[in-house]
Amino acid sequence: MNPNEIDILKRALEREKAARKQAEKILEAKSAELYSANQKLLKYNKNLEILLTNTDSQLQGVFENIVDAYVIIDLLGNIMKMNDAAVALLGFKSTKEDFNLINLVHPSEAERVQVAFKKLLEKGAITDFQVNIITKTKESKIVHINASIIYDQGKPVAAQGIVRDITQKKANEEQLIESESRLSTLILNLESGVLLEDENRKIVLTNKKFCEFMQIPSTPEALKGFDCSDAAEQSKFLFKNPENFVDRINQILLRKKAVLGDELIMKNGMILERDFIPIIHKYQYKGHLWKYRDVTLRRTYRKSLEAEKHKYYNIISNMNLGLVEVDTDDKILMVNQSFINMTGYSEKELVGIKGKDLLPIKEDQSIMDEKVIERKTGKTESYELRIKNKQGKVKYWLVSGAPNYDLNGNIIGSIGVNFDITEIKSLELQKESLLKKLEKSNNELHEYAHVVSHDLKSPLRSINALLSWLKEDNKEKLDAASLQNFDHIEATVEKMEQLITDVLEYSSIGSEETEKVDINLNVLVTDLLNILFIPKHVNVSIENKLPIINGHKTKLQQLFQNLISNAIKFIDKDKGVIKINVEDLNTHYKFSVKDNGMGIEEKFHDKIFKIFHALNKSKDSTGIGLSIVKKIVELHDGEIWLESEPKIGTTFYFTLKK
Amino acid sequence: MKTLKILLIEDDMIEVMKMNRTISSLKLNHKIIEANNGEEALNILRKKDELPDVILLDLNMPKINGIEFLKILKEDDVLKYIPTIILTTSSNQKDLLECYEIGVAGYVLKPLKYEDYVSKIEKLLAYWSINELKKI
Repeated sequence: MNPNEIDILKRALEREKAARKQAEKILEAKSAELYSANQKLLKYNKNLEILLTNTDSQLQGVFENIVDAYVIIDLLGNIMKMNDAAVALLGFKSTKEDFNLINLVHPSEAERVQVAFKKLLEKGAITDFQVNIITKTKESKIVHINASIIYDQGKPVAAQGIVRDITQKKANEEQLIESESRLSTLILNLESGVLLEDENRKIVLTNKKFCEFMQIPSTPEALKGFDCSDAAEQSKFLFKNPENFVDRINQILLRKKAVLGDELIMKNGMILERDFIPIIHKYQYKGHLWKYRDVTLRRTYRKSLEAEKHKYYNIISNMNLGLVEVDTDDKILMVNQSFINMTGYSEKELVGIKGKDLLPIKEDQSIMDEKVIERKTGKTESYELRIKNKQGKVKYWLVSGAPNYDLNGNIIGSIGVNFDITEIKSLELQKESLLKKLEKSNNELHEYAHVVSHDLKSPLRSINALLSWLKEDNKEKLDAASLQNFDHIEATVEKMEQLITDVLEYSSIGSEETEKVDINLNVLVTDLLNILFIPKHVNVSIENKLPIINGHKTKLQQLFQNLISNAIKFIDKDKGVIKINVEDLNTHYKFSVKDNGMGIEEKFHDKIFKIFHALNKSKDSTGIGLSIVKKIVELHDGEIWLESEPKIGTTFYFTLKK
Repeated sequence: MKTLKILLIEDDMIEVMKMNRTISSLKLNHKIIEANNGEEALNILRKKDELPDVILLDLNMPKINGIEFLKILKEDDVLKYIPTIILTTSSNQKDLLECYEIGVAGYVLKPLKYEDYVSKIEKLLAYWSINELKKI
């Protein structure tokens, strides 16, 4: 090693010694400083410790006496400390239990709790944190937590929190919210329009229906707080009588008394019913509620019902039928105007009395008693009744009675409809007496015809007797011409007698007292042909077997006799042929008598049936024969007509009822 | 042949003449007592001293008519036994029935012709002359 290098090393060592000496010096000074600082700190620390202990014990007192659950946990969630309330809330057995609070959190809340924990660490506190937990005793609870971090010398070391059980409160709240929302939905959708105003006429609440009724183009929500002072003025044009609408509202608001059922008619035809209900709280007016209901349908229904009722009422009171309603005791409950008119009694006199005691005449009271009993068995019927009205006049009524039932089907009385048939009845009686009179006068006429015929025939007989005496007494004195004239007189007298006989017969048809019986026409006509004088050159034949007819024997005999005689009389041929025939026509038989006589011109066909219309004035024709025939046919509900050709022959047709 | 005492009750003069002429022309001995109406006939009958054997009665008469007369007759205990024959123009069935009901001995219709009349009366009287009658 060279000196230089040693020298350099020597000097470097020297500098180093000096530096260390300096450093030792500084260190010594610092050390002294530190010591004193330490002493000082020790002293402060002591003070602080005392202070802390004091505060701590103070806190301990608060901590133990706090009502709410108070828990201190470390930053991992392990319980460090808790009070009795917390023990009770979380379901522990003692305050000393070692447990991680996180384990109580409901699994579904784990994430939220994580977030909340993070926030707690970052911000140092959380408030109003609500979480579902399951307690050690397995109860599900909702708790409310306010928590903060505890720092030691600026470093977080633990967390403390106050835990409140809000399970019940939460439930209540939810219930309240639920019912509130239900209520508001209800109000919102109410069929009635609702408007709640406060004491300053600001809208508190309204609903859709109200907006609809008042044609407000806004939502109920938007109307909240709206001042209604001018609302009536704005809405009045919707109503039929705008001024009334406004006046009435002002009046109601002035009185502030409940008003129910005001009716408002709107221009669009809607009818609203309005209630006003003031809201008084502790004697203090707090506002009022308007309620509007649409009663259009109900009102129009009621109106049409009323109109209908009125209509029927009118019909009932004005109809010509007397209506009476009685109870089960037969006491009159109701009568209509016609009934009043028909009886002559006033409504007052009638209602409450028993109709059967007052109205029917004595003889008919038993009928009514009988009917009242029958009606109670539910029978409906009509019968005639004679009643005496207030004026004492007897009237004929047609009574129709029916039991009256209530809604349950019990008989509660009866309803009688009465029709005054006095006039009809008197007509009927009149008719009866007229018929009797007619019958009497018919009989009289018949008698009269006999008397007249007797009185007319008597002189004829006398003339005949006198003539024959004249002839007898003067036999020798009379010449042939005179005798001839005597014969003429006799013939004339005879014809006159026949005429009288025929007239009598004609007038007698129909006044026969005998009943119709079954007549065998075949026998009758055959017998007749044996009795009748039939000239040799005439042949009368029955072509078909004649039927049995219900009729008068002598008349039917006369009918055939007249027709056959007539046919014989007018035969102008060398050989006369008369044919009698019959045909079945359901309800009637059609007969025909056909001859080959002189025939009858058509223009006389109607005439020949008329009395005294003999076409040929001959010795033995009175002109009544065919009239008698026609009358007999009609007596047997038949018709008669003829077909004829002059010079060839005539057929008389007639029908007789079976 | 028995001679009959006949009470003819007839208001028509010519009818009476017819009866008388008939009897005389037939040369019968019957005695005719004439009464113009029922009243007169009753007066004759009430005397009871000269009661007829038969009565010929016309129905159509004034005052008391034939049927009324007949009723009175049949209510009398003595007179009711005298046969009464109706001699009338009335062919009224009602009259005929009523007469038979009250009680008549015959109902004869007066014919138009005198010859017929004579023939009827002849038979009628012949019949009654052979009948047994109540002795008075």
